[in-house]
This record gives sequence, C-alpha cells and structure tokens, in this order.
Amino acid sequence: MTFDLVIQQLVNGLIVGSFYALIALGYSMVFGVIKLLNFAHGDIYMTGAFAGLVVFSTVGVWLGNGWLAVVCALLASMLAVGLLGVIIERFAYRPMRNAPRLSILITALGASMVLNGGALALTGGRHFAFNTDLGYSGIDISAVHITYTQMILVAAAIVLMTGMQTFISRTMYGKAMRAVSIDMGASRLMGIDVDRVIALTFFMGSALAAGGGVMAGAYYGSVHFFMGFIMGLKAFTAAVIGGIGSVPGAMLGGLLLGLLESFGSSLPFIGSEWRDVFVFGALILFLVFKPTGILGRSVVERV
Amino acid sequence: MVAMIRRLACATALAGVALTSAASAADVKLGIIAPMTGQLASEGQDMENAIKLAIGAVNEKGGVNGDTLTTVTADDACDPQQGVTAASKLVSEGVTAILGGYCSGAVLPTLKIYGDAGIPFIIIGANSTKLVDANPGNAFMINSTGDMQAVTAIELFQKNGYKKIAVIDEGDAYSSDLAKLTAEAFKKAGGEVVDRETTTAGEQDYSAVVTKIKSSGAEAVFWTAYHAGGALLTKQLRQAGFQGGIVLGDGNNSPEYLQIAGSAGEGAYLLSPPTVDLLSGAADFKDKYKAAYGRDAGAYAALSDDAGNLIADAIGRAKSTDHKAIIEALASSDYKGLAGEIKFTDKHTLQTSNFRPVVAKGGKWVADE
Repeated sequence: MTFDLVIQQLVNGLIVGSFYALIALGYSMVFGVIKLLNFAHGDIYMTGAFAGLVVFSTVGVWLGNGWLAVVCALLASMLAVGLLGVIIERFAYRPMRNAPRLSILITALGASMVLNGGALALTGGRHFAFNTDLGYSGIDISAVHITYTQMILVAAAIVLMTGMQTFISRTMYGKAMRAVSIDMGASRLMGIDVDRVIALTFFMGSALAAGGGVMAGAYYGSVHFFMGFIMGLKAFTAAVIGGIGSVPGAMLGGLLLGLLESFGSSLPFIGSEWRDVFVFGALILFLVFKPTGILGRSVVERV
Repeated sequence: MVAMIRRLACATALAGVALTSAASAADVKLGIIAPMTGQLASEGQDMENAIKLAIGAVNEKGGVNGDTLTTVTADDACDPQQGVTAASKLVSEGVTAILGGYCSGAVLPTLKIYGDAGIPFIIIGANSTKLVDANPGNAFMINSTGDMQAVTAIELFQKNGYKKIAVIDEGDAYSSDLAKLTAEAFKKAGGEVVDRETTTAGEQDYSAVVTKIKSSGAEAVFWTAYHAGGALLTKQLRQAGFQGGIVLGDGNNSPEYLQIAGSAGEGAYLLSPPTVDLLSGAADFKDKYKAAYGRDAGAYAALSDDAGNLIADAIGRAKSTDHKAIIEALASSDYKGLAGEIKFTDKHTLQTSNFRPVVAKGGKWVADE
C-alpha cells in the first residue's frame, strides 16, 4: 500500500467516523441517563434526514440549493426531530420507567418499527434524491483528494459534539444530566426535576441524530426509509466500543469504527467482502480485554 | 318426525356449505412474491402493481376458464430467510401459481419449497444462473439470465475499448453470480480485472472502495448489484475524480438511479431488460399504469404484466388449475408479450436474450447505438 493510499483511507475513515460519532453520542447520552438502548435512534436519524429534505426542498425555492438552504434544513430538522424525540420519550418510555429492563427494550424496538413502517407507508420505499449544489471542489495533497464539503461537514460534526460536551460539563443542566445518570433516586432527592432532565437529554440526542441525518443526506445525496437501520447498528457499536454512557467515549468509538472500516477494506490479501468480519472481529477482541469500552466506567454494584 | 327434520336440516346445511365452497372454488388464487419492504420495496410494489393490473384486465375479459383470478401477496424483503417464510405462507394458502421474485438471493431458497409443493412459479426479475441450476422443474424465468447478461456486458466493454475493469458486487446471489460470470468471460476475452470488490447492501459510504478503484488504474467500473448502491457509488466515484466508464447490471434499472446519481450518472451504461420506455408497443400500458397507481411504471412493470398474462394464458391452455397441467402448458409457451417473445428452453430460461445496453443522457435512459 502506498503512502498516499494510506492517507486517503485515513481521511475516508475520519469522515465516515465523524458521522458515526455524532449518532453514537445520542445513543450514549440516552443510555447514560435512563439505561435504555434506544433502538429507535437510527430511525430518528432517518426521520431527521427526511425532515431536512422537506425543509431543503421548500426553502431551496428561495435560497437556492447551496449551503444556506442546507443550514436552514439542518436547524429546522434538529428542532423538529428533537421535539419528536421528546414526544417519543413522554409517551413510549416514561410510563415504562419502573418496568423491567426488557419491557422498555421491546418498547424501543416498537418505536423503531413505528417510525420505520410509517416512513415506508408515506414514501412507498422510494429513494429520494437530496440534490445540493455543494460541489466537489477541494484540495489535493499529492494523490489525496479532500473536498471542501467534506471538511465543512467534519467541522460541523466536531462543533456539534464539542458543544454537547461543553453543555454537559459546564452548565447546570449538564450537571443535572450527569447526576441523573449516576443515581436517579438521589437526584430526585436533591430537587432535580428528573423528568425534565430526561426530556432534555432526549431532545439533544435526537437533535444530534437528526443533524447527522441531514448532513448524511446532503453529503451522500439520497434518503431512504431504511437508511437508519445500518447506521443505528454502527452507532450502537461505536457507542459500546467507546464506553456506553460516556460522551467522549462515543466520539472516540465512532472515529475508531470509521477508521477500522476504512482500513478493513484495504487489507492486503483479504478482499473487501471480509471487511465487516474484520471490523467486528476486532471489536469482539477489544471488548474481551476491555468490556466497558475505551472510556467506560466500571460499574460497581454495591450490595 | 323430529329425526326427519334433523336429517333435513343437516342435508340443507351440507348443501349450503357445498354451494358456498363451490362458489369460492371458482376463484383462482395467484400468489405474488416480491420485496414489499426493505431497500428494494419500490421495485416489489411496482411488480405487484403491474401484475394486479394485468390480472384485472384478464378478469374484465371474463377471467380464465370461466374463473376469476385473485391475488395474494407475500413479502420476501429481498432476504433469504424472509423469502422462505413468505414462500411457506403462499404454499399454505393453496395458490394455483406464483409470480414474482426480484432478488435472486431471496428466491433461491424458495425454489425447493415450491418444488416440493409442485406449484408453478414464474420468476419475473431474478435471473441468477444459480436459480437455473437449482430449479426443481416448476420454475420459469422470464428475465434473461446472468450468463447472457455477461455476454452483453463483454460486448459493451469491447465496443468502448475498456481493457482493465473493476468489478464490484454486494455479495448476494444475484450480484456475485453476475460479477463472477462477467469477470471470467472478460478474462477469457483477453481483458484484465484489476480490482474485485464486495460491498455491503444498505451502506451509504463507499469512499474506501472508491479509493481502491482509483488506485487500481481501472478504465471502467462494472457494478453488478442494485440501484440503491449503484447511484451512491456513481456519485462518489465522480466526486473523487474518477474519469473512467461506469457500467451497471440490470438491477440498477430504476428511474431512482437517475434521480439520485443526478449529473454524476450522465454517460453511465446500463444493461437493461425490456422496460416500458424502451418498448415501442408499451405506451398504452404506461398510461394505464399511471392512471391506476399515480406513479410511473417501474423497470420490471412490462415483464410483470407479461407474467400475469402468461399465467392466464397457460391456465387457459391447460384448461384446469392442476399444477402439473399448468407447468406443462408453461413449458410449451409461445407467448408474445409486451417485453418480447416468451419461449422457454428445456432449462426453463428464455430462448433469446432480452438485454440491451442503454446509456444515461440528460437524466433518461436512452438506447445505446
């Protein structure tokens, strides 16, 4: 493998990794706060992409198909789908707060199917083109080609993620979220409005996923009702590698997964059909030695 | 006295049951199997639409042998496991014949199920040669098979002077079969396959594969899987600055490919089975389809329409709903459909290849001269 090839694959891995990181963040946040693996998260990503497409098409009539329209679509979608996340939490998950863990897991699966099936029914299974005028111009460092669009998207993802991390570590509400994730009962005793904190967590996690969806839609150019399935799976994997419940862990896990995939398709002697085998094999090995993930906290059960 | 009344009541009840069951026995049930959910849901729904349209037209003309045709649809989601479940469901419904099949991967395991039940199966879209080998004798393929498509592909490569190609598939029965056949045939014809990759269905990011293709020095890329991935791969290839040719297998035959690939898809070649846009006699059918379903007829609508009419024709010739009789009638078919002549070889494949290359020009598929 030439040096240029390695660098290009590195760049590819980081770009796709930042998408995974963005979605994994939402997964991790929700798990941290109510210990639920939100299977509907991938479908929130898909809903965000569709919402973004709708806004983009309507706004694009006045603002053209460039960055301005994409940013409008991004903000509108994040707001709308963030609220959708809150609604799902309120009606599907909150009543199950004291139910056995398995029951709420099934509810999450159910929410995922509702979103999925609803999208299928509304769109008839068609792929929709998200045609932007973002262009393919970029910089070339010897044989490595990086487009401006790619750089802006990665920058946007980093901005969103650092914003999230700052919110959690520096603000009052962020502190409340961390408190609830450590001990819900004690937080309540300290006067924290747990319901509101959880709603906020869902809002932010869903908004991030929606943002990722709009960016993916704009970048790859197509949205489809089933696009959340694989992304949800990968984001979940990334969240687990990085340490589920940890925000910086999710980001790290996402990047690591992106890099593993990118290099996994260029292994010498092994064809790219073995890519997923390689990636998940590495994951299993990793988790055998560090089950709580890279930055995961060891959970100590006090008896 | 009481006993006689009781006996009379019984007899009447039995007669009533016999009459009602006789009435419903006049309905000939046809099963439709296609991907109604998943990545290729739009294609499955398109097939179901066209079949129902054809069956409706047959019923309006008085049905077959005096019976009305009804349909029941099962979803294989382009997945082998779901395909098996759907197939079992159709068999248990006691259908007279089955039409459909888009994904060869989902159809392959169902052949044995239909074969054991002896039900005639007209395969509309799936065309992997693996199906030909696994055919227990009751399946009929009305889409030209992978080996004929490979022949057309090689001709296209040679016409455009491509000596080094990259072949990309998605690992399923259809695309890997087509990829293998084409790669072998191309090497035999003196060409070089410089890159051979497999991607995962449902992925959006093909950057790693694109990078490998670029560094391999390929003059053209042959994508043998479906339109969802094909459109994204095309976009990303052009985005990365790949200047070579792009050739697509027949699974990419969908207007969605053009919509999503946009300007990146200009100049891409497609090995197309007969679609409504390429068929001179299909304008009527196109309008009827649009009027009935509010959307344009998809790539396999013409073939699906032919399947519906073919089965009606076969049942009519067999003069019964007996499975064996219908299979015999199908084997001796000489039917002129929308998509061309349907005559089967003894392997139950089409005698003539129905593939033709088309090129994307101005957002439409145009015949390649």
